[in-house]
Amino acid sequence: MNREMVAMILAGGRGTRLEALTAHIAKPAVYFGGKYRIIDFPLSNCANSGIDVVGVLTQYESVLLGTYVGSGIKWGLSGSNSSAAILPARERGEVGATWYAGTADAIYQNISFLDEYDPEYVLILSGDHIYKMDYDKMLEEHKKENADCTIAVLNVSLEEASRFGIMNAKEDGTIYEFEEKPEHPKSTLASMGIYIFTYKELKKYLVDDAAVADSKHDFGMNIIPAMLNAGKKLFAYEFAGYWKDVGTVESLWQANIDLLSDEDLDMYNLKRDWKIYTGDTNSHPQIIGEQGDITNSMVTQGCIIEGEVKGSVLFDSVHVGNGAKVVDSVVMPGALIEEGAEVYKAIIDENVVVTSGTIINKEAKNVALVSNND
Amino acid sequence: MAKVIGLVNLHANVDYKGLTERRPAASVSFLGRYGIIDFALSNFSNSGIDSVGVLIKEKPRSLFKHMGLGNSWNFNSKSGGISLLYNEKYANNPHYNHDINNMIENKYFFNKTKADYVVIAPAHIITTLNYSEVVEAHEKSGSKITMVYKNIDDADKSFIGEKYVSVKNNKIIEVVVNKGNRKKRCMSLSTYVINLDYLMKLMKKSSSVSAFFDLSDILGYLCDEADIAAYEYRGYATCLNSLEAYYKHSLEFLDIEIFSTVFKSNWPIYTNTKDTPPSKYKANAKVKKGFVANGAIVDGHVENSIIGRDVVIGTGAVVKNSILLSGSVVGPGAVLENVILDKDSKVEVSKSLTGTSIEPLYVKEGDVV
Repeated sequence: MNREMVAMILAGGRGTRLEALTAHIAKPAVYFGGKYRIIDFPLSNCANSGIDVVGVLTQYESVLLGTYVGSGIKWGLSGSNSSAAILPARERGEVGATWYAGTADAIYQNISFLDEYDPEYVLILSGDHIYKMDYDKMLEEHKKENADCTIAVLNVSLEEASRFGIMNAKEDGTIYEFEEKPEHPKSTLASMGIYIFTYKELKKYLVDDAAVADSKHDFGMNIIPAMLNAGKKLFAYEFAGYWKDVGTVESLWQANIDLLSDEDLDMYNLKRDWKIYTGDTNSHPQIIGEQGDITNSMVTQGCIIEGEVKGSVLFDSVHVGNGAKVVDSVVMPGALIEEGAEVYKAIIDENVVVTSGTIINKEAKNVALVSNND
Repeated sequence: MAKVIGLVNLHANVDYKGLTERRPAASVSFLGRYGIIDFALSNFSNSGIDSVGVLIKEKPRSLFKHMGLGNSWNFNSKSGGISLLYNEKYANNPHYNHDINNMIENKYFFNKTKADYVVIAPAHIITTLNYSEVVEAHEKSGSKITMVYKNIDDADKSFIGEKYVSVKNNKIIEVVVNKGNRKKRCMSLSTYVINLDYLMKLMKKSSSVSAFFDLSDILGYLCDEADIAAYEYRGYATCLNSLEAYYKHSLEFLDIEIFSTVFKSNWPIYTNTKDTPPSKYKANAKVKKGFVANGAIVDGHVENSIIGRDVVIGTGAVVKNSILLSGSVVGPGAVLENVILDKDSKVEVSKSLTGTSIEPLYVKEGDVV
């Protein structure tokens, strides 16, 4: 079964900086944007880019994530010619039980999966970024440039550049150097963690890397530098548009709030070209009561709004009681804000009950996180 | 356990004027999120019946699209599934296009099921009826047919043109058309449990009595001799058999008390979902008493209204006592009162549209006004 390009989504990370939000779920499964989970973005991008086969590599808390992705039916990936495959770290015949030691090792351990599809190209993605991107256009560039590896890059500000892996490239886009979080960045082209490799090249480097005992088995730290050293052609593909790594409580809150003034990401698909698919629920229609008052907010089905909601993102089946106030906050599924309670600049985790009269984070300097997992 | 199959019967006379010009009532949008048929289908699903046929009377296109493989209602496509039963032969012949002829035409569906009982329910009467409880009562009664009814005290205003029944010793002894001349009636919910073998006989019998008889006609004709058990349903039921009833009862659901009697966590209502983003309320939004479906973008005033998927309400627009179907657009500053906007219609030029509570102003699918 030959496929031109197979996508592999790295979805094994814990995301420790998301604190209680990832106490029991993997970061790619964290809720986002009122009805999505983060992994809906790369999966929808794959579906919309015409990619039929997607491997999802899981490790930390893989059960919920695996159940959610399932056969890929939510993203239209479960036809007779397409599939999403959950690839957890596992016990293997020749080496026994192992974990994924790094991003490159995760792919290395699934070479047999890739070989089955015998792809010309492999697309490596992260399961925890918010963006819309046509990977097919990136593949076109990869082919046109005759590259061995094409890396998607984002032009960031010079101040931000030291937080990223930075690609130093010539005018024509050819990468000559890679620096991980440089103190004095020479360029502002940050790697987005999105790679297209010509598979037969990638396979060679993965096999070689696996034999190096002190390697971190990481794409950024090991595979890319090894290819640069060998004089392979690495090409920087510049992406213009909304892209966010939601790695911290603060950045997750910010990315949700960004949606309220969203132009770039086009979540409402006003351009009618790029829908983000998700696991829709069967909750009742969203109902607003006599005293409801909602502005500058996103509210989804299952919600009952009897109080005030300002500048906030509310997920499925959130109930805001009479006289309650939710301001500049992200409220996850099933949370109950009782009568008269007030919430400011907070992330309220799944099924939390904010009891009547409670006031959360009135001074609203930093983002408050309220979770049943604390 | 007895094997039960379900039938959603769309052969009732239901007409919502413009809304049903090109689609059956079953797939008319309801509460911003559903098709009317979703309630009957969800009742089957929640009652553990996963092999369901739909008796289609006419204009099936949008219904076919809505139903898909039936996965949305959990009808497992391997062990059960959904069968769309259509009677092409009589599609344009109103006297012959009735449920009995449809069942005769689609006999294969019944022959291959090996079911003991068939539950037949209409789409246009909205209930949260647990059919498995009716089947249980049916088995106990020893009758071959059970009819479900509900006592109502506003039969002068609702269920007009539907049938009411007279009940004696838990048996149906009379079936009569409700002309609205009395308040208290035992209304038939057009919902039956029938032994499959008896239903097969009934089809033959019916056409030999009158080729124009439908199921309710033959049951009315036979009720003296046929031993029809009566089952009283005490839950919520509303009959959407006219545009006026559809409009009035849809808006009634905005009463949180009615809403909570119907929407319960142990009785989910399933539908074909669309991956639309959450509804967005912009800076000038002011919404009170409303259903707002996902994908809607609101920057105006909404009161006592139902806003469908992907509807856009422009800055400063006012929408009152109205039902806006998916994809419709209300331009900035427009004022709508007692209006139904069909799918993808646009209010651009007209700045004020007003209907009455009896006859809401209707804008056709895709029209620009």
